[in-house]
Amino acid sequence: MVRFKNRYVLCELLADDPRCRRCIEDRAVGLAVRDAIARAHGDYGLGRCCVSFTVKYLNAYTGTVLLRCRKDCRQLLSSALPLVRNLESRGQRFPCALRTLHVGGTIRTCQKFLIQYNRRQLLLLLRNCANEEERRSVRQAVLSCSIAEEQAQSGEEEEEEEEDGTETD
Amino acid sequence: MERAEPPAAAYERRVLRSGAQHCYLRVQLELPDGAARPGAPQLKQLVVTALRELHGEVGAALPVDVLAYEEKSLCAILRVISSGFVKLWSALTLQGFYQSRRCAFRVLQTSPFLLALAGNSRELLLD
Repeated sequence: MVRFKNRYVLCELLADDPRCRRCIEDRAVGLAVRDAIARAHGDYGLGRCCVSFTVKYLNAYTGTVLLRCRKDCRQLLSSALPLVRNLESRGQRFPCALRTLHVGGTIRTCQKFLIQYNRRQLLLLLRNCANEEERRSVRQAVLSCSIAEEQAQSGEEEEEEEEDGTETD
Repeated sequence: MERAEPPAAAYERRVLRSGAQHCYLRVQLELPDGAARPGAPQLKQLVVTALRELHGEVGAALPVDVLAYEEKSLCAILRVISSGFVKLWSALTLQGFYQSRRCAFRVLQTSPFLLALAGNSRELLLD
Protein backbone atom coordinates (compact mmCIF):
# COMPACT_ATOMS: atom_id res chain seq x y z
CA MET A 1 0.00 0.00 0.00
CA VAL A 2 1.21 3.47 -0.67
CA ARG A 3 1.06 5.77 2.29
CA PHE A 4 3.04 8.58 3.87
CA LYS A 5 5.52 7.15 6.33
CA ASN A 6 6.63 9.28 9.25
CA ARG A 7 9.55 9.14 11.58
CA TYR A 8 9.25 10.17 15.20
CA VAL A 9 12.41 11.58 16.77
CA LEU A 10 12.52 11.41 20.55
CA CYS A 11 14.80 14.04 22.08
CA GLU A 12 15.73 15.35 25.46
CA LEU A 13 15.99 19.08 26.06
CA LEU A 14 19.01 19.94 28.19
CA ALA A 15 19.22 23.34 29.80
CA ASP A 16 21.41 24.76 32.54
CA ASP A 17 18.99 27.38 33.69
CA PRO A 18 16.16 26.08 35.92
CA ARG A 19 13.96 29.00 34.82
CA CYS A 20 14.01 27.54 31.32
CA ARG A 21 11.57 24.82 32.39
CA ARG A 22 8.76 27.32 32.59
CA CYS A 23 9.08 28.51 29.05
CA ILE A 24 9.32 25.10 27.39
CA GLU A 25 6.27 24.95 25.19
CA ASP A 26 5.63 23.17 21.91
CA ARG A 27 5.44 26.32 19.81
CA ALA A 28 8.78 27.61 21.10
CA VAL A 29 10.51 24.27 20.52
CA GLY A 30 8.94 23.95 17.06
CA LEU A 31 10.12 27.42 16.07
CA ALA A 32 13.63 26.75 17.39
CA VAL A 33 13.93 23.51 15.39
CA ARG A 34 12.50 25.16 12.24
CA ASP A 35 15.01 27.96 12.61
CA ALA A 36 17.86 25.46 12.93
CA ILE A 37 16.72 23.59 9.80
CA ALA A 38 16.55 26.88 7.86
CA ARG A 39 20.08 27.75 8.93
CA ALA A 40 21.51 24.31 8.19
CA HIS A 41 19.67 23.40 5.00
CA GLY A 42 18.34 26.67 3.62
CA ASP A 43 15.00 27.38 2.01
CA TYR A 44 14.95 24.04 0.23
CA GLY A 45 15.55 22.04 3.39
CA LEU A 46 13.00 24.07 5.32
CA GLY A 47 10.36 23.55 2.67
CA ARG A 48 11.03 19.82 2.52
CA CYS A 49 11.13 19.13 6.23
CA CYS A 50 8.23 21.28 7.33
CA VAL A 51 5.64 19.49 5.21
CA SER A 52 4.74 17.19 8.05
CA PHE A 53 6.73 18.60 10.91
CA THR A 54 5.10 18.98 14.34
CA VAL A 55 5.97 18.65 17.97
CA LYS A 56 3.83 15.69 18.92
CA TYR A 57 4.56 15.47 22.63
CA LEU A 58 6.34 17.67 25.11
CA ASN A 59 7.00 17.19 28.80
CA ALA A 60 8.36 20.29 30.48
CA TYR A 61 9.29 18.52 33.71
CA THR A 62 11.56 15.94 32.11
CA GLY A 63 12.38 17.87 28.95
CA THR A 64 11.18 15.09 26.67
CA VAL A 65 10.26 16.18 23.16
CA LEU A 66 8.76 14.03 20.40
CA LEU A 67 9.07 15.44 16.88
CA ARG A 68 7.44 14.08 13.75
CA CYS A 69 8.73 14.42 10.20
CA ARG A 70 8.47 12.59 6.90
CA LYS A 71 10.62 9.51 6.42
CA ASP A 72 12.58 11.04 3.51
CA CYS A 73 13.75 14.07 5.40
CA ARG A 74 14.56 12.42 8.69
CA GLN A 75 18.26 12.89 8.04
CA LEU A 76 17.83 16.60 7.36
CA LEU A 77 16.02 16.98 10.65
CA SER A 78 18.50 14.89 12.62
CA SER A 79 21.45 16.80 11.25
CA ALA A 80 19.87 20.12 12.16
CA LEU A 81 18.99 19.20 15.78
CA PRO A 82 22.51 19.81 17.17
CA LEU A 83 22.27 23.37 15.83
CA VAL A 84 19.42 24.27 18.18
CA ARG A 85 21.15 26.58 20.62
CA ASN A 86 18.49 28.85 22.13
CA LEU A 87 14.91 28.54 23.13
CA GLU A 88 12.89 31.74 22.84
CA SER A 89 9.54 32.31 24.39
CA ARG A 90 7.74 35.30 25.89
CA GLY A 91 10.60 37.59 25.03
CA GLN A 92 13.21 35.52 26.90
CA ARG A 93 15.99 33.49 25.47
CA PHE A 94 17.65 30.53 27.18
CA PRO A 95 20.58 28.49 25.96
CA CYS A 96 19.66 24.85 25.53
CA ALA A 97 20.61 21.70 23.67
CA LEU A 98 18.61 18.86 22.14
CA ARG A 99 19.88 15.35 22.59
CA THR A 100 18.41 12.63 20.35
CA LEU A 101 17.39 9.55 22.30
CA HIS A 102 15.53 7.46 19.77
CA VAL A 103 14.10 7.48 16.27
CA GLY A 104 11.04 5.36 15.72
CA GLY A 105 8.49 4.72 13.04
CA THR A 106 5.46 5.05 15.31
CA ILE A 107 4.56 6.86 18.50
CA ARG A 108 4.06 3.52 20.20
CA THR A 109 7.66 2.37 19.71
CA CYS A 110 8.91 5.71 20.98
CA GLN A 111 6.69 5.36 24.02
CA LYS A 112 8.03 1.88 24.74
CA PHE A 113 11.57 3.15 24.48
CA LEU A 114 10.78 6.12 26.71
CA ILE A 115 9.38 3.88 29.44
CA GLN A 116 12.52 1.71 29.42
CA TYR A 117 14.76 4.75 29.32
CA ASN A 118 13.02 6.39 32.24
CA ARG A 119 13.32 3.21 34.30
CA ARG A 120 17.07 3.17 33.67
CA GLN A 121 17.33 6.86 34.49
CA LEU A 122 15.61 6.33 37.82
CA LEU A 123 18.12 3.66 38.75
CA LEU A 124 20.96 5.98 37.77
CA LEU A 125 19.49 8.79 39.82
CA LEU A 126 19.23 6.51 42.82
CA ARG A 127 22.85 5.49 42.43
CA ASN A 128 24.06 9.07 42.11
CA CYS A 129 22.32 10.28 45.22
CA ALA A 130 24.69 12.12 47.52
CA ASN A 131 23.27 11.23 50.90
CA GLU A 132 20.82 8.88 52.54
CA GLU A 133 18.04 11.44 52.80
CA GLU A 134 17.96 12.10 49.07
CA ARG A 135 18.01 8.38 48.47
CA ARG A 136 15.06 7.89 50.75
CA SER A 137 13.05 10.68 49.13
CA VAL A 138 13.69 9.35 45.62
CA ARG A 139 12.71 5.85 46.68
CA GLN A 140 9.57 7.15 48.27
CA ALA A 141 8.62 9.17 45.20
CA VAL A 142 9.06 6.14 42.96
CA LEU A 143 7.03 3.89 45.22
CA SER A 144 4.26 6.41 45.61
CA CYS A 145 3.47 6.97 41.92
CA SER A 146 0.89 4.61 40.62
CA ILE A 147 -1.48 4.29 37.69
CA ALA A 148 -4.53 4.39 39.91
CA GLU A 149 -7.40 6.38 38.48
CA GLU A 150 -8.00 8.69 41.41
CA GLN A 151 -4.63 10.34 40.81
CA ALA A 152 -4.25 12.68 37.88
CA GLN A 153 -1.01 11.09 36.69
CA SER A 154 -1.12 9.62 33.19
CA GLY A 155 -0.13 6.02 32.74
CA GLU A 156 2.63 6.73 30.21
CA GLU A 157 5.04 8.58 32.42
CA GLU A 158 5.69 6.55 35.51
CA GLU A 159 8.48 8.67 36.82
CA GLU A 160 8.81 11.88 38.71
CA GLU A 161 12.21 13.28 38.14
CA GLU A 162 13.48 15.37 40.99
CA GLU A 163 16.05 18.09 40.77
CA ASP A 164 18.81 16.15 42.41
CA GLY A 165 22.32 17.39 42.57
CA THR A 166 23.65 15.47 39.60
CA GLU A 167 22.02 15.80 36.20
CA THR A 168 22.58 12.74 34.06
CA ASP A 169 24.08 13.44 30.69
CA MET B 1 19.98 -8.76 -18.30
CA GLU B 2 20.77 -12.04 -20.05
CA ARG B 3 21.72 -11.76 -23.69
CA ALA B 4 23.12 -14.24 -26.16
CA GLU B 5 26.90 -14.25 -25.99
CA PRO B 6 28.27 -12.03 -28.74
CA PRO B 7 31.10 -13.45 -30.84
CA ALA B 8 34.47 -12.91 -29.17
CA ALA B 9 34.88 -9.13 -29.06
CA ALA B 10 38.18 -7.38 -29.48
CA TYR B 11 37.38 -4.71 -26.89
CA GLU B 12 34.90 -3.99 -24.18
CA ARG B 13 33.27 -0.63 -23.55
CA ARG B 14 31.95 0.39 -20.15
CA VAL B 15 29.99 3.56 -19.55
CA LEU B 16 29.69 4.87 -16.00
CA ARG B 17 26.98 7.41 -15.42
CA SER B 18 28.38 8.92 -12.27
CA GLY B 19 32.03 7.98 -12.55
CA ALA B 20 33.57 11.42 -12.51
CA GLN B 21 34.40 13.11 -9.26
CA HIS B 22 33.78 16.69 -10.39
CA CYS B 23 31.33 18.38 -12.70
CA TYR B 24 32.25 21.47 -14.69
CA LEU B 25 29.85 24.24 -15.70
CA ARG B 26 30.33 27.14 -18.03
CA VAL B 27 28.07 29.93 -16.88
CA GLN B 28 27.48 33.48 -17.96
CA LEU B 29 26.27 36.18 -15.63
CA GLU B 30 23.75 38.61 -17.09
CA LEU B 31 23.37 42.03 -15.52
CA PRO B 32 20.59 43.84 -17.37
CA ASP B 33 20.39 46.76 -14.95
CA GLY B 34 24.03 47.68 -15.32
CA ALA B 35 25.47 46.76 -11.94
CA ALA B 36 29.21 46.98 -11.40
CA ARG B 37 30.92 44.00 -12.97
CA PRO B 38 32.09 41.58 -10.28
CA GLY B 39 35.66 40.37 -10.10
CA ALA B 40 36.56 36.72 -9.53
CA PRO B 41 36.36 36.84 -5.70
CA GLN B 42 33.03 38.67 -5.89
CA LEU B 43 31.71 36.03 -8.27
CA LYS B 44 32.72 33.26 -5.87
CA GLN B 45 31.04 35.17 -3.05
CA LEU B 46 27.88 35.45 -5.14
CA VAL B 47 27.87 31.72 -5.87
CA VAL B 48 28.42 30.81 -2.21
CA THR B 49 25.71 33.25 -1.13
CA ALA B 50 23.30 31.69 -3.59
CA LEU B 51 24.09 28.24 -2.19
CA ARG B 52 23.69 29.45 1.37
CA GLU B 53 20.27 30.96 0.69
CA LEU B 54 18.86 27.89 -0.99
CA HIS B 55 20.70 25.06 0.72
CA GLY B 56 21.89 26.55 4.00
CA GLU B 57 25.26 26.08 5.66
CA VAL B 58 25.55 22.56 4.23
CA GLY B 59 25.17 23.96 0.71
CA ALA B 60 27.55 26.83 1.32
CA ALA B 61 30.19 24.33 2.41
CA LEU B 62 30.15 22.57 -0.97
CA PRO B 63 33.58 22.65 -2.61
CA VAL B 64 32.94 25.02 -5.51
CA ASP B 65 35.84 26.54 -7.47
CA VAL B 66 35.94 29.28 -10.07
CA LEU B 67 38.49 27.86 -12.50
CA ALA B 68 38.39 30.65 -15.06
CA TYR B 69 36.66 34.00 -15.23
CA GLU B 70 36.51 36.60 -17.94
CA GLU B 71 35.37 39.92 -16.56
CA LYS B 72 34.64 41.42 -19.98
CA SER B 73 32.12 38.80 -21.02
CA LEU B 74 31.17 37.77 -17.46
CA CYS B 75 31.78 34.15 -18.42
CA ALA B 76 33.10 31.71 -15.85
CA ILE B 77 33.97 28.04 -15.54
CA LEU B 78 32.91 26.51 -12.23
CA ARG B 79 33.88 23.19 -10.82
CA VAL B 80 31.83 21.36 -8.22
CA ILE B 81 31.90 17.95 -6.71
CA SER B 82 29.46 15.63 -8.50
CA SER B 83 27.17 15.10 -5.54
CA GLY B 84 26.60 18.84 -5.27
CA PHE B 85 25.92 19.44 -8.96
CA VAL B 86 22.14 19.67 -8.66
CA LYS B 87 22.42 21.91 -5.60
CA LEU B 88 24.76 24.31 -7.38
CA TRP B 89 22.69 24.53 -10.55
CA SER B 90 19.46 25.06 -8.63
CA ALA B 91 21.09 27.75 -6.48
CA LEU B 92 22.44 29.56 -9.54
CA THR B 93 19.02 29.41 -11.18
CA LEU B 94 17.31 31.02 -8.21
CA GLN B 95 19.87 33.74 -7.61
CA GLY B 96 18.13 36.87 -8.79
CA PHE B 97 20.00 39.79 -7.30
CA TYR B 98 23.56 41.03 -7.21
CA GLN B 99 24.09 44.12 -5.05
CA SER B 100 20.34 44.72 -5.16
CA ARG B 101 20.28 44.83 -8.94
CA ARG B 102 18.75 42.12 -11.07
CA CYS B 103 21.03 39.40 -12.35
CA ALA B 104 20.70 36.00 -13.99
CA PHE B 105 23.01 33.05 -14.38
CA ARG B 106 22.84 31.39 -17.78
CA VAL B 107 24.36 27.90 -17.80
CA LEU B 108 25.91 27.43 -21.23
CA GLN B 109 27.58 24.02 -20.94
CA THR B 110 28.06 21.36 -18.33
CA SER B 111 30.18 18.24 -18.47
CA PRO B 112 32.01 15.84 -16.20
CA PHE B 113 35.08 16.49 -18.33
CA LEU B 114 36.78 19.86 -18.49
CA LEU B 115 38.02 19.30 -22.03
CA ALA B 116 34.47 18.99 -23.26
CA LEU B 117 33.88 22.65 -22.41
CA ALA B 118 36.48 23.69 -24.96
CA GLY B 119 34.19 23.16 -27.93
CA ASN B 120 30.62 24.30 -28.09
CA SER B 121 28.60 23.37 -31.12
CA ARG B 122 26.02 26.02 -30.27
CA GLU B 123 28.52 28.78 -30.82
CA LEU B 124 29.91 27.22 -33.95
CA LEU B 125 30.01 29.63 -36.87
CA LEU B 126 29.70 28.02 -40.23
CA ASP B 127 31.37 29.96 -42.98
